[in-house]
Amino acid sequence: MATASVQTPHDWPGRYYHVDQILDRPGPRTIEEAFTGGDEAKTFIRSQCKVLVIGAGGLGCEILPNLALSGFRDIHVIDMDTIDVSNLNRQFLFREKDVGRPKAIAAAEYVMKRVPGVTVTPYHGKIQDKDEEYYMQFQIIICGLDSIEARRWINATLVGMVDEDNPDSLKPLIDGGTEGFRGQSRVILPTITSCYECSLDMLNKPTVFPICTIANTPRLPEHCIEWASVLEWPRVHGDAKKLDTDDPEHISWLYEKASARAAEFSIEGVTWSLTQGVVKNIIPAIASTNAIIAASCVNEALKIATNAAPHLQNYMMMIGTEGVYSFTFEHEKKEECPVCGGATVDLSINRDMTVEELIEYLADKQTIQIKKPSLATSTTSIYMQAPPILERATRPNLEKKVSDLVPAGTEVTVTATSLPLRLTLRLSYD
Amino acid sequence: MSQIIQTGPPDAKTRKYDRQLRLWAATGQSALESARLLVIGATATSTSVLKNLVLPGIGHFTILDPNTTTPEDVGNNFFLEIDSIGKQKAVEAARLLSELNESVQIAAEPADIADILATKPEWISNYTMVIAHNLPRKVVDKLAAYLWSDRSLPALIVVKTAGFLAEFYLQCHEHTVIDSHSEEKVSLRIDNPFPALLEKATSIDLSSLDQTTHSHIPFIYILIQAAAQWRAKHNNTLPKTFAERKAFQKFIDEMKMKADEENFDEAAAQAFRVAPQPIPTGILKLFDDPALNAPGGLTRESKPFFHLLAALKEYVLSQEEGKRTLPLSANLPDIKSDTKSYVEVQTLYKQRAREERGMFKAVLVKRLKTLDPGNGSDEALLESFGISEGTIDDFVKNSHGLTVLRSTVYGAIDKDPALLDTSLSEKPRETAVHIAFTALDSLPEGTEPTVDNLRAQVVRLLGKDAEIGEDVENCIGEIARTPTADLPTTAGFVGGLVAQEAIKLITKQYLPQVGGHVVVDLIGSWTGIVP
Repeated sequence: MATASVQTPHDWPGRYYHVDQILDRPGPRTIEEAFTGGDEAKTFIRSQCKVLVIGAGGLGCEILPNLALSGFRDIHVIDMDTIDVSNLNRQFLFREKDVGRPKAIAAAEYVMKRVPGVTVTPYHGKIQDKDEEYYMQFQIIICGLDSIEARRWINATLVGMVDEDNPDSLKPLIDGGTEGFRGQSRVILPTITSCYECSLDMLNKPTVFPICTIANTPRLPEHCIEWASVLEWPRVHGDAKKLDTDDPEHISWLYEKASARAAEFSIEGVTWSLTQGVVKNIIPAIASTNAIIAASCVNEALKIATNAAPHLQNYMMMIGTEGVYSFTFEHEKKEECPVCGGATVDLSINRDMTVEELIEYLADKQTIQIKKPSLATSTTSIYMQAPPILERATRPNLEKKVSDLVPAGTEVTVTATSLPLRLTLRLSYD
Repeated sequence: MSQIIQTGPPDAKTRKYDRQLRLWAATGQSALESARLLVIGATATSTSVLKNLVLPGIGHFTILDPNTTTPEDVGNNFFLEIDSIGKQKAVEAARLLSELNESVQIAAEPADIADILATKPEWISNYTMVIAHNLPRKVVDKLAAYLWSDRSLPALIVVKTAGFLAEFYLQCHEHTVIDSHSEEKVSLRIDNPFPALLEKATSIDLSSLDQTTHSHIPFIYILIQAAAQWRAKHNNTLPKTFAERKAFQKFIDEMKMKADEENFDEAAAQAFRVAPQPIPTGILKLFDDPALNAPGGLTRESKPFFHLLAALKEYVLSQEEGKRTLPLSANLPDIKSDTKSYVEVQTLYKQRAREERGMFKAVLVKRLKTLDPGNGSDEALLESFGISEGTIDDFVKNSHGLTVLRSTVYGAIDKDPALLDTSLSEKPRETAVHIAFTALDSLPEGTEPTVDNLRAQVVRLLGKDAEIGEDVENCIGEIARTPTADLPTTAGFVGGLVAQEAIKLITKQYLPQVGGHVVVDLIGSWTGIVP
């Protein structure tokens, strides 16, 4: 029997009856040269391959059991959150009694209990706590995150880890995301395919209400809610009490203030639920969409690990609001990507633009979105966010015109405090 | 539906369901909680579908499966465990699924659907919807025929998976949707302002305003004025060509008092709204719907939806041709403006929307009276037709996105070689998946699903002279490789898709894929639709 050689004490005859059908023989679209098949593929996923899952939330709770049932045995999971009651409508590894527990730990326990012989190693904390050596131990990394910043960080870290002389340093990154009935999954081969940073401009711009609207001319219920949370809360509570959007009493306070303001301006539609939605930036989420995207992510991991079939090249989005619709395409690598491109970006700015304005522009621009950038030429620091001594030394430059500090055509290196990336700009003035 | 304004922190149930209530609201949730689902086959795919419906709180489900759990079943199904081996599969899966949500009623029937169809098919009529995974084709055809035999019987979703490939089909006589969550832009009537709006817009003398007021005039008024001035200068025509539209935007820009007036920028960006905004073609097509035009017309037994639709048709057609509109929506987008001007223009729209709703309701009541000329009140009359004030609100508010969906009986395409052939030439890779599944289905009992045997079935299906291309070869090759594999990942993917469709069907919100086979290829990682 073919599986005998990789049988462990936890196995039972027939355990992998289903998965073995794709591992025992190639199909018409399997790339024959790459298909190792049979025992080699089984041994690899069942006793050698280490997979990291980032996020044990809506997607993570689906990714983990899918990996375990597909035959992966050494799974690690990172998540910094604890379980909230609003997770229970979809994060099916958690029960009422788990509310308040770390997600990574509860999820790992549950999967190990249900799928014998699988080890899930949890880490309750931030991905930024871990270094390159940690990430180097995995063969595949799957992200089920709701944070853009965390995705940018892991993406940039994995691209930065690629060492041309060491093929093992290239870690396939599979990324999933969902919102309501929509979702997407993609396969990123760092430095080879387009990376997460290459596609930043595909993200919807978050709704930001101008402060003058909130303060002076509210029109929507959302404006009243923002007023209550952004202006009224700090005014009343000062630094003494920070707004905790997970505290229902805080939401109730905001709701009352926002309702009063709405009544004053004859604006209708402030509700408790809207208040909570606006201040927490709540994205609707359901089990079914997470199931689709998580399954797609694990399916790609399985194909990459075994070559049972070619993997996704490289982006699939699906929309379930009007019938069943999906779109699969190859997102192209960007030469000027600050993470994987390295090409210099030509940027023409107004001659009168100050350094501070340039910093705001870089934070805002859809293709760049670098918050808190530091700027330097090969010879001088224009503005450095850190360390404090350099920050103080360069702070006077903020008010100066860029054109007075940097001659046209000079290359300016932009780095970010929170992300391991580097963007080179060549400035010209108009 | 009329909203209950919630003033305090939500109750425990609302907190748990918060992230889905933001998609389908309390009305969708209550529909879900009233639904009764029958799932045939306690497979990995079936439990995956069920998981996604138990979590959001479906009312009841029954799993029907006559088999006992095998070691193979435990390997790919998260809702079976080692100790389940040898026990009733339906009972075990139901037990483990029930842990996900205490408020869901569950039942397990260790019975064979073929026996039920033979002895007591009416048992199935207790359900809202039936989902069947990998049933033999003969049985599925019987089930589909039974459920098709009466319009009041439940909808059916037929699901098939094999390795990386899958397909499903939603059989449903008729599905009407009021709240389709359409993203179509609703008309603001800038092209055809109602009297109060026109009066307000023309009463503003832009040149006499101070700078602050000028920069807060809502773009709606600006566009109405700009369009009138343009007409006066251009022979009573509106900007049509690209150049004219550019010139019109420039014209708006020149109305500015200061360069940075954002309300005028907004007017320029919204300039397309001065052109006539016709009634969406989808809605005009609905006016010709067979349900409205059946001999004898609508009766007391017709669905409330069609009484409302007939009233809408009459409401629209009674208007002057060329100026016909749907009832006005009271929902305005945000507008660059100050609070007072915004609330003022919003009030104009709300008043007008109320008036038009009143006119629509009058048409509706008049029509219903012809069917039921009793002496009761209008409210009692509407109620006797199953129409509440909330339904009228909903119908009017969503009238631009009304939808009627109908499928054919399951399997019709496989009896239509011409349709299959057209589909194969128009959508080769999608149709190939369907043909491969049909070929697997139609293998005589005891025949091995080899490539050659499957190809013989394809020939039988398409005709001797049909050319079997690469796409079909690829799909039958995959099926021959994995004829009985219910992969955890394919089960998860298809389970998610099918649950989404079930939710849309049950809540009557958004648009389910009624009509057409959904095919899934997890090698290429795509989905598609075959007729």
